[in-house]
Amino acid sequence: MEYLRQMSAIIWKDVVVELRTRERIAAMGGFTVLVGILFNYAIDPTVVEPQAIAAGLIWMTIVFGGMLGLGRTFSLEEEEGAFQGILLSPIPRDAIYFGKVASNFIILTVVTALVFAVFALFFGLTFGGHPLALAGVVLLGILGFVAVGTLFSAISSGTSMGDTLLPILVFPLLIPVIIYGVTATAILFAGRPVAEVDGNIRMLGAFAAVAVFAGAGLFRYVVEE
Amino acid sequence: MSSKIRWTGAVLGVLGIATTLVLLWMVFFWVPTERTMGVVQRIFYIHVPAAWVAFMAFGIVAICSAVYLWLKDERLDMAAVSAAEGGMLFTTIVLLTGPLWGRVAWGTWWTWEPRLTLTLLLWFIYLGYFLVRASTDNPQRGKRFAAVVGIVGALDIPLIHLSVVWFRSLHPAPVVMKPEGPSLDPAMLATLFVGLGASTLVFFSFFLFRYGLERMTQALAHREMAAQAAPRPEGAAS
Repeated sequence: MEYLRQMSAIIWKDVVVELRTRERIAAMGGFTVLVGILFNYAIDPTVVEPQAIAAGLIWMTIVFGGMLGLGRTFSLEEEEGAFQGILLSPIPRDAIYFGKVASNFIILTVVTALVFAVFALFFGLTFGGHPLALAGVVLLGILGFVAVGTLFSAISSGTSMGDTLLPILVFPLLIPVIIYGVTATAILFAGRPVAEVDGNIRMLGAFAAVAVFAGAGLFRYVVEE
Repeated sequence: MSSKIRWTGAVLGVLGIATTLVLLWMVFFWVPTERTMGVVQRIFYIHVPAAWVAFMAFGIVAICSAVYLWLKDERLDMAAVSAAEGGMLFTTIVLLTGPLWGRVAWGTWWTWEPRLTLTLLLWFIYLGYFLVRASTDNPQRGKRFAAVVGIVGALDIPLIHLSVVWFRSLHPAPVVMKPEGPSLDPAMLATLFVGLGASTLVFFSFFLFRYGLERMTQALAHREMAAQAAPRPEGAAS
């Protein structure tokens, strides 16, 4: 109970800061809309039907936009030793990690919804007839992404390379999310039956579970002084 | 202690070079030519042993890293970084010999074949391991960060493997490790085992020399720190 209260304190802090400053949401939201505009000119619609490659475009936009925000997970805490304060408070390290993953997950979910809306508007996409299965695929995928990204964001912000290092560390590890996420999304966009993506959802769930628990176990070694 | 490490490294190195010479003789003069792929198949005796060492090295990195985070024994971190350097070298050998063979056998330098992709990703995980170590001002922190990269990489490798295999498979199926026993010609199998022995010996020789070097580097860093902390003796000021 105490643990949940401590965890939600971290989530609450991050969400309130985000609602007041709108720093990361604005950057990620602006980024995704601009990517949509760039894609419009990068892809010749008379050669490639946008609907045919929509799943890949949407996932790549989520991942690139997500990196932008994930890289700044600990940027606020780096200033004036705020992170020392959090570490000195009697909150277990894994509760800090879970809280950070949850607040990143909330922010990225909002950005993902925006990506879907913008791409539907710009490219006239249809998302197939299985909104629940689609939500399951996308949410499990971004949970795994956020779990890995939050852990490595703590690492990259402790190095002199900073955010530049984050994609090099995270992208090789994200292959399962991209493969299972994109193929399942493409199947659902095509309106094929939900049973075809059962395996993908299980694998995305397995990835998210491994990532969250490994992150929770290893986070203490990253923030140790 | 450190002279013992150097001696063992030297002995393994000499054995490794000798085995490599035997291997080269077997590959070029002794082993029969494969029927369908022809001469180019002989690269297999370098490629497969290098891949075996690359993945074994990553296992050593992950285990040493995990125990290092637990026990905080500097020797485990030195072992992890030594294994990672050897592993990166052998991963590079795999990535260089694979396309050479693939150009002839598959007609293309690169294909998104699962084991090829997995090895390339392994190379990038090793790259992250070294970048993290190199870009931290505080060496202790760099060691912990690198250990976390090594552990998460090792946990993710099976998932990456599953996903890339699921995505597509056109690599030759395994010819040694399968339930009905090896389907390889006995002479080819013998050459492969000599290759495995040679690359393993060379790897552990590298590993021990690198470990000894890391120990000396860290001992030197400690001495420099101690020398800076200690007050200068009278009259010795420059």
